[in-house]
Amino acid sequence: MITVENLTKDYAGFRAVQGISFSVQKGEIVGFLGPNGAGKTTTMRVLAGYLPPTGGRVAVAGHDIVAESLEARRHVGYMPENVPLYTDLRVNEYLAYRARLKGVKGRKVRERVEAVNRLCHLDDVKNKMIGNLSKGYRQRVGLADALVHEPDLLILDEPTIGLDPHQIRSVRDLIRSLGNRHTILLSSHILSEVEAVCTRVLILHRGRIEAADTPENLARLVRGGGGGVRLEVSCRSEEGQRELARLPDVESVNCRAEREGWSVFEIAPKTGKDIRDGIFSVVQQQNWRLREMSRLRASLEDIFVELTQD
Amino acid sequence: MVLWVLIQREIKSFFISPTAYIVLFACAVIHGLNFAFWLEYMTSNNIKDFTLLQATVNSFFFWFLLLIQAPVLTMRSFAEENRSGTIEMILTAPVREWEVVLAKFVGALSFFSVLWLPLALDFLGLRLFWGHPLGSSGSMELLSLAMLLLLGSLFLAIGIFASCLTRSQMVAAILSFGAIFAIFSLSFVVYLGLIGQTRDLVTYFSFLDQMDTFSRGIFDSRPLVLTLSGTILFLFLTERVLQWRRLRS
Ligand SMILES: Nc1ncnc2c1ncn2[C@@H]1O[C@H](COP(=O)(O)OP(=O)(O)OP(=O)(O)O)[C@@H](O)[C@H]1O
Ligand SMILES: [Mg+2]
Repeated sequence: MITVENLTKDYAGFRAVQGISFSVQKGEIVGFLGPNGAGKTTTMRVLAGYLPPTGGRVAVAGHDIVAESLEARRHVGYMPENVPLYTDLRVNEYLAYRARLKGVKGRKVRERVEAVNRLCHLDDVKNKMIGNLSKGYRQRVGLADALVHEPDLLILDEPTIGLDPHQIRSVRDLIRSLGNRHTILLSSHILSEVEAVCTRVLILHRGRIEAADTPENLARLVRGGGGGVRLEVSCRSEEGQRELARLPDVESVNCRAEREGWSVFEIAPKTGKDIRDGIFSVVQQQNWRLREMSRLRASLEDIFVELTQD
Repeated sequence: MVLWVLIQREIKSFFISPTAYIVLFACAVIHGLNFAFWLEYMTSNNIKDFTLLQATVNSFFFWFLLLIQAPVLTMRSFAEENRSGTIEMILTAPVREWEVVLAKFVGALSFFSVLWLPLALDFLGLRLFWGHPLGSSGSMELLSLAMLLLLGSLFLAIGIFASCLTRSQMVAAILSFGAIFAIFSLSFVVYLGLIGQTRDLVTYFSFLDQMDTFSRGIFDSRPLVLTLSGTILFLFLTERVLQWRRLRS
């Protein structure tokens, strides 16, 4: 659905996107993740046909974004970062205008406007002026706008920013349900959201893709991510560290806390090894009492911090 | 038809705002008072040297409105879209840049025409109810109207061009008024005693003279060519700027 080859984008001499390549298949929900200024919005603007690429090739739904811009734009529903809207129109009027602008014809216009109103829970405000809507409702109008012409591909730039927790949840559910019919590329700072919604994650940092994989695989990628163990036993920290480090498959042992005779360790295995068995034998041999033994799962947040720190 | 959708939006955006009606009312009043003044002056002094139409198109208020309207009507057009970011929404829809520019122009020209409707009605009323339009014939009036719309087109195109260069309505208005007033000032340069080719060149831009010529029922193709090509040039430049905005890197 999207093919990006070696995309670069310069702003007045400053290179915001530095030769990235990726592709998105039909039916995927792909999350764009990255710290502020990573180039997410820039990349999405190129994909939406607003900014032309400085270098490289971008195709959307099989159409080159420069040579066949108009045809490519027909297939995209784009929701920009700050959701600019005409404040002097009513929600219904605005959506009808946008539908017709994007080629919906005749009686279908009303049908589509009603459908997206229902989908984005806009029925209560459909006759209100957009200028009088709260931020969250504007956000939903932007989403309805992106959906109104039934595009194959949705590009959503931070769709849940500025929403309250209820709305975040409902927009997230909406996006997940849209995944059945649309291919979706969304950007976000909320890692749990990307983890919950996306089938694949692209981590962008300083205009480069640092990682691209499923959230689970990414977790495995990070040191200690796959099969790390948290252990709380009755021993002194030096003693525990010394004994645990003797295990052949252990990469590192960290003591997180020591109080009242109990120590908490985080133990990372060498890549791909399972160390739980070995740890238990050590505990038995040393005659330690055991209070907790659990798996450490690297969250997307850990991966994010790991990959995007300087 | 996408162009028609865009034009509808432009026309609506003019008539949606209450200020539009205040402007319309103010223009109608100024036209009416100006018209009534000359009508009264000419009938009471029994003037036959020039027509009421000529008096009107040479009056201060006629040009005052003509010069001031274009900047006011067009300062919003692109500047506001640039400021609020809605330009991104327009240009990511499957529309061509020239369609967007043309829609802005047609919308502005429509509202401009409505602003001059009161004056046209003044003359029409004089003709219908008095049957005695103080010297001017129908063709003189139509030619003047045509020249008015042509000048309006040129000024609006300049205004739209200025508006697409900035995100501030104020800057757009100042830019376009400056440019329009500069061109208009050429009408007076002729009186500085120029000779030869310079004089010919400046007369070519003398809208005041051209308007007067048309109001006497004499058709001149030069202003037609000038205003039409000027309009097209500035609309084309606007389209270029929109593209360049995207191509700038
Ligand atoms: N119009 C512009 N002119 C010049 N530089 C720009 C422009 N837009 C963005 N940049 C720069 O390009 C880089 C990438 O910006 P971009 O908006 O794509 O980041 P982002 O990943 O969307 O960040 P955020 O998470 O804050 O939205 C930034 O360093 C930014 O300063
Ligand atoms: Mg951004």
